[in-house]
Amino acid sequence: GVFTHLEMLEARAHEAAVKQEETEQQEEKLARLKARVQELRLQRDELRAKVDLQQKGQLGKEGVVSDPAQPSARTVLEWKIKSVKAMLQVFYLTGISGKLTKRGVCFCISTAYEGTYLDSYHLDLLTKAEVQIHRHSVPIFIPLEQIAKKYLQTDIRRFLSVLSDHLNAYAGRRYQADQLQGRFSNRIEGTLQRNSLCNLLVFNYNVSSKSKTFPFNARLLYGDLCCSLPTEVTVSCTPDAPASLAEMAAAHSDLFRRVALHKAFCSFSSAEESVD
Amino acid sequence: MDVTVAEYIRRTVLKIPRDEIKTMLQKWGFLSETQLQTINFHQIKENISQDVVQLCEENSADIKQAAVLDIIYNHIYPNKRVWSVYQMNKTGEETEFFDLTDFKKKFKRRLRSALKNVTINFREYEDNAVWIRIAWGTPYTKPNQYKTSYVVYHSQTPYVFISVSVLKSNLPLLCQALVVASNYHDIREMELRSHSLNSLKDIVFKRYSQNFQTYYPRPLQERNMAPESGDLRIIQENRNEKERIQRVNQEVFGDGPQPKLEFAQYKLETMFKSDPKMDVLDEKEPFRCLVKFSSPHLLESLKSLAPAGMADAPLSPLLTCIPQKARNYFKIREKKGFFPGSFVSP
Repeated sequence: GVFTHLEMLEARAHEAAVKQEETEQQEEKLARLKARVQELRLQRDELRAKVDLQQKGQLGKEGVVSDPAQPSARTVLEWKIKSVKAMLQVFYLTGISGKLTKRGVCFCISTAYEGTYLDSYHLDLLTKAEVQIHRHSVPIFIPLEQIAKKYLQTDIRRFLSVLSDHLNAYAGRRYQADQLQGRFSNRIEGTLQRNSLCNLLVFNYNVSSKSKTFPFNARLLYGDLCCSLPTEVTVSCTPDAPASLAEMAAAHSDLFRRVALHKAFCSFSSAEESVD
Repeated sequence: MDVTVAEYIRRTVLKIPRDEIKTMLQKWGFLSETQLQTINFHQIKENISQDVVQLCEENSADIKQAAVLDIIYNHIYPNKRVWSVYQMNKTGEETEFFDLTDFKKKFKRRLRSALKNVTINFREYEDNAVWIRIAWGTPYTKPNQYKTSYVVYHSQTPYVFISVSVLKSNLPLLCQALVVASNYHDIREMELRSHSLNSLKDIVFKRYSQNFQTYYPRPLQERNMAPESGDLRIIQENRNEKERIQRVNQEVFGDGPQPKLEFAQYKLETMFKSDPKMDVLDEKEPFRCLVKFSSPHLLESLKSLAPAGMADAPLSPLLTCIPQKARNYFKIREKKGFFPGSFVSP
């Protein structure tokens, strides 16, 4: 009756809908495939052009007697790559180098002390709106935020220069402390007290005079974080030590203020050798 | 020698793997080399510990020395504890000189002024780290050597690593003492926790591998172009896609090993968005749920998801921001601004 008729109509409507969906999907697929075909055709044309070019190059080589004086394309390319690498190396060796990125610049600050290259640190800056530090590998005890607050927005050059000074000075201080602990461990009594910034060193060391050894205590304070020499030095000896030793302590104190730590110790060793 | 000290030393020795006992006792330096040579380190640990206690008896060990052995053990096996990271703030701009003696004095004085019954031990290490061991007592009882907190602090940094065992109530006291001793103003807990102390250090000290774009020629560049090994009959159909994934992965995760975290937890306070026809909790109230990713090495496994084909590259920034944001606990609320995606609360 009526219901069967309705059911039939419903079924037909459903079929029609399904069919329509199918045709729509087919059309979509067709469109996609057509686009893909275009892509592939373009790629094929590019590759064909490349192959032609290469073949012409080959023919050129075979056809003409190769001139040994005229460098081949490959050699020229190799030379270019080499010189670019060398240029980049030079930039890296200057201590501050940079590369433009999608959102700004990435700087690399390399540190060195007395001809030895030490660690490198990186800064990823965003320059779209205001200048911001996106990421960095600067050690946490370097006052990066302070330096950035002062200079980053107004004078990037100054910012990099000041940061580089801090990093290089830190690298230099650390180098000296490491050298002292490494090369002159036999002269140090007990442990060398240091800290992360290497801006306060306290240690006891031995001084020999007239074939007797005396303990000295040295306290080196590096007040200027951009400097690898101490600003305050206190060298003291035991109260019962002879007067000549007090003079020596003063001389040492002066030396530590002027000369790198390990070099100062080198001079002690040679001075003692010459006396004995 | 105190019976409690003896027992404490015995239990500490029992924790140490048998092959490491001799080296650790040597590091401790409390027993002489001749004394150590009298111990048979091949017998069962129970007997070794008894021998050690016997020798400590001869040397009249006190709790301070026993505590040093405990610090040494925890320094070598820090991963047995869970470490949290705390950040300190200060407003001044003077250069910090960090005098270690000064720090220790201030810390002890501050802590003892609030609670007399504490055992405090310090030990310094080569990497400018100071380890502090605190055994807590109460105003009326002696310090319980089995209820200890450990603090690791690197001079002139704003971060402190704390492993609190049971007595969380003492935490404010500890934090205050740290702030005073290190010349900072305040301290807050970061949302960063792990068993791996060194990985936590890597994250906050930015020692993990970040991929910076530089012109400096990196030897690793060559390694990526290494010739495909093996059978020439096997053709990589998806080579482009594979290479794209590798490149994206390298940009995000860098080249080196990842810091070791065991989990990342995301607390969702977002609205449940359903098909409007379904009318289930739709936009009525936040659907609270907690998503926790666990792994023996979470970041390495995230790094290998895309190359293994289990996720699309690039991964969601909610996952990849973990080392840079230095957190593995997140609260995600409903977005309120122009940015797609959810708003991550600080």
